[in-house]
Amino acid sequence: MTDYLCHDFKTPRTDAARRLPSTFRFIPIIFYVAIVGSAYMMTMDYFAFQKAKRQKMEADERKSRIEGERDSLNSEFAELEAESKKAEAVAQWMEGARNIQPIVVKLARAVAAETRLGTLSLERDEDVAANIALSLKVSGTNATTEVINIENALGQLQYRSLSPQQTKTEDDIEYRSTLVRSAQ
Amino acid sequence: MLLDEIKSVLSFAAFKPDADDSAVPWRQRFDGRKSVLLNVSRSQTSWRGMNKKGKLEDGGVMDGEFADVTPQRGEEWRGMTESGWCGLSVNHRFIISLENNLMRGDNCVSLLRTNPRAVLGPKYDRGKRYAVCHHPETTASLLLAVEESMVKVTEDLLKTVQLRPARVCCGLFALLEHAVLSISRAVDTGTPPNFILIVACEGSIGVLVQQDGQWKDIRCRSGLGPEAVETSLQIISPLIAKVPQGSPVYFVSDGNDGKFRSEIMVHLERVGAVDLTQDDLLWTILGEH
Repeated sequence: MTDYLCHDFKTPRTDAARRLPSTFRFIPIIFYVAIVGSAYMMTMDYFAFQKAKRQKMEADERKSRIEGERDSLNSEFAELEAESKKAEAVAQWMEGARNIQPIVVKLARAVAAETRLGTLSLERDEDVAANIALSLKVSGTNATTEVINIENALGQLQYRSLSPQQTKTEDDIEYRSTLVRSAQ
Repeated sequence: MLLDEIKSVLSFAAFKPDADDSAVPWRQRFDGRKSVLLNVSRSQTSWRGMNKKGKLEDGGVMDGEFADVTPQRGEEWRGMTESGWCGLSVNHRFIISLENNLMRGDNCVSLLRTNPRAVLGPKYDRGKRYAVCHHPETTASLLLAVEESMVKVTEDLLKTVQLRPARVCCGLFALLEHAVLSISRAVDTGTPPNFILIVACEGSIGVLVQQDGQWKDIRCRSGLGPEAVETSLQIISPLIAKVPQGSPVYFVSDGNDGKFRSEIMVHLERVGAVDLTQDDLLWTILGEH
């Protein structure tokens, strides 16, 4: 009895619109599929955006860490360069002071262990390069003797003191002279 | 308006059958919606609600003419339905006749509604509304003719209480159609060549006689009063005498009026009548189909 349809003799409506064909159901179906798809894509995009943000933060952290390491290496390198320049300057000085090195060695050996040399200065004369201005300060009980020893030691290097000056205060002696190379 | 149309498409409502689409069974039309069914007899109106799942719910009966009952019960009926749609069965002022060689076809039912003259030819009467039930195997047909003025008046009365008829039918004829199809499709026994079918629906009665596989006679009467059983027997008795002895007698009633059913079955059982009535059969047929 499923195909039995009860009769009907009502007054028909004039404003009745035709029902849409069932095949048109794909329109709302596509609409809802599009909404679900869009929601899915937006959700996936949101998670991808969050992941990209995390990766960017990690990259920034890594970049700042590497930049910090680079800066520390640069500063270390600059320090090393500065040291290198100092060393070069010392080396140049050593090279330039090769002539007066025997004088310094001789002076150091001439002074006894208990005597202290306060200041020691050896300067070439700008006009006569062979002359060297010596200035030193000797401290100790045997300062006078030490000055004589120094003069003797310099004499062994064929230098003689020209117009030496001594200023004695208590145990200190300030000694100044111009070392002139004796003729061989 | 455009927004409503878009909404109806997106909610798939545009693809659902209209509440008054007579080409679709009632259950499909009101799937997920409440509805109310009315059966209007000459001096009595009964009604029954159907819930959203298509199950029958509370109903009621009120004596009096429909014009008197409607104003009193209109609000109650409106509360039992959605959007004001109701199913209406008019159970009086109709005639059922036996016709031969009526037009048959897929569009015959809709054509009978829109252009009955094309189907009925000279049998068409301007002041009538028609429905037809064809014999499954022969060219005979049962033709229901209802007073058009009565249908219009009934529809107008419903409008006054903001109700719209989604279907107007005749309860007795619906029971008759249903019973004829049930008997013809009975698998176990097959269709008997001779039988008498007695259909009763709230004060109306119809008797169909089949002899030698042909519908021979149809009698109907509506508006039976307090002496309905006696009047019915007066209609039934001569017809029973016509058919060969031992022919099956079937009785079908609306399933609501137990008193009439039990009283008439006392008499019908003497001729071996089989009661095919089920509880709430009228409402079940109207609410299902």
